[in-house]
Amino acid sequence: MDDNKQPGIVLTEAQKKSRRQRSIAIALALGVLVLLFFAVTLVKGPAVLVRPM
Amino acid sequence: MSVVDHNAIDLSPRISEAEVGDYIALLKPRVMSLVIFTALVGLMIAPVHVHPVLAFTSILCIAVGAGASGALNMAYEHDIDALMTRTANRPIPRGKITQGEAAAFGITLAFFSVMTLGILVNWVAGALLAFTIFFYAVVYTIWLKRWTAQNIVIGGAAGALPPVVAWAAATGSLSVEPLLLFLIIFFWTPPHFWALALFRSDDYARAGVPMLPVVAGPDATRLQILLYTIVLVAIALAPWPLGYFGAAYGVTSLVLGAGMLWLSINVYRHREGIEASRATRRLFAFSILYLFALFAVLLLEVVVRAIAPMVW
Repeated sequence: MDDNKQPGIVLTEAQKKSRRQRSIAIALALGVLVLLFFAVTLVKGPAVLVRPM
Repeated sequence: MSVVDHNAIDLSPRISEAEVGDYIALLKPRVMSLVIFTALVGLMIAPVHVHPVLAFTSILCIAVGAGASGALNMAYEHDIDALMTRTANRPIPRGKITQGEAAAFGITLAFFSVMTLGILVNWVAGALLAFTIFFYAVVYTIWLKRWTAQNIVIGGAAGALPPVVAWAAATGSLSVEPLLLFLIIFFWTPPHFWALALFRSDDYARAGVPMLPVVAGPDATRLQILLYTIVLVAIALAPWPLGYFGAAYGVTSLVLGAGMLWLSINVYRHREGIEASRATRRLFAFSILYLFALFAVLLLEVVVRAIAPMVW
């Protein structure tokens, strides 16, 4: 069974490192977005639902 | 029998080695810094109190929107970027990021910046930011840039909009003051970029971009620089006597405006050799200082007005 198993794509160290960096950057960006929405919700209070056109 | 030689085609998926820095480069950080600064001024001169969190959100969204425009611009222009010395080192020509990845990055950032500004601040600002991104990425990059020598004149509107977006974020509406800021940046753009184009005209010619020096020649460009500078200096001075901005702004505008005029006259007079090259480079460098100083003084006037009642 194992003999037939394809090795698949093996990432080089550089590829692994850059992918990890990109993943961390995306996580940080999403974290900032969540914090931003949370902070604005606190600042606006109930008025957060009032959005003038 | 197959007509395709599968051994000759690399069917392995492309694994990206792009680093975070390459994606940051797509955002055009230097352009973004000017956008942040002009937007901050637009926000600060608005006659309303803006909560710091909302002010931060607005500036962040405008900055990310500007970055999205930059990424979309690089995605479309990767072919000519590879031909020009100034842009050959960008992530797509270097092979670090593909055109599709840059486009996806730009679209994602554009979507999030517009929606966040609209939802958290107001939809006038959100709509204006969407229009700014559209104008830069589609009207300027796709339509105007390779079609007309007036590309940066009309396209300059996109670069002039950030303070207007910021004012709208603060007030939810528009007024004369942000439009004055818009006009100052709008008329500043041609002398600034044509000064750059004069000493980079070989680059633009090689890439087939119809910049004014390439299409109409350096002498016609020098005349246009002088004419636009005269209009710019007049427009930048007008808000003072009209009572929109204070005396500090007026004096700064007068003194630095005289400097802009003097340097553009020098560009017009010196047409050959090292003197011509020096004159254009001086105007290009001074134009950055000119715009920065005008907006910095506006910011200073706001700060002084806020602090003065506490001191006296």
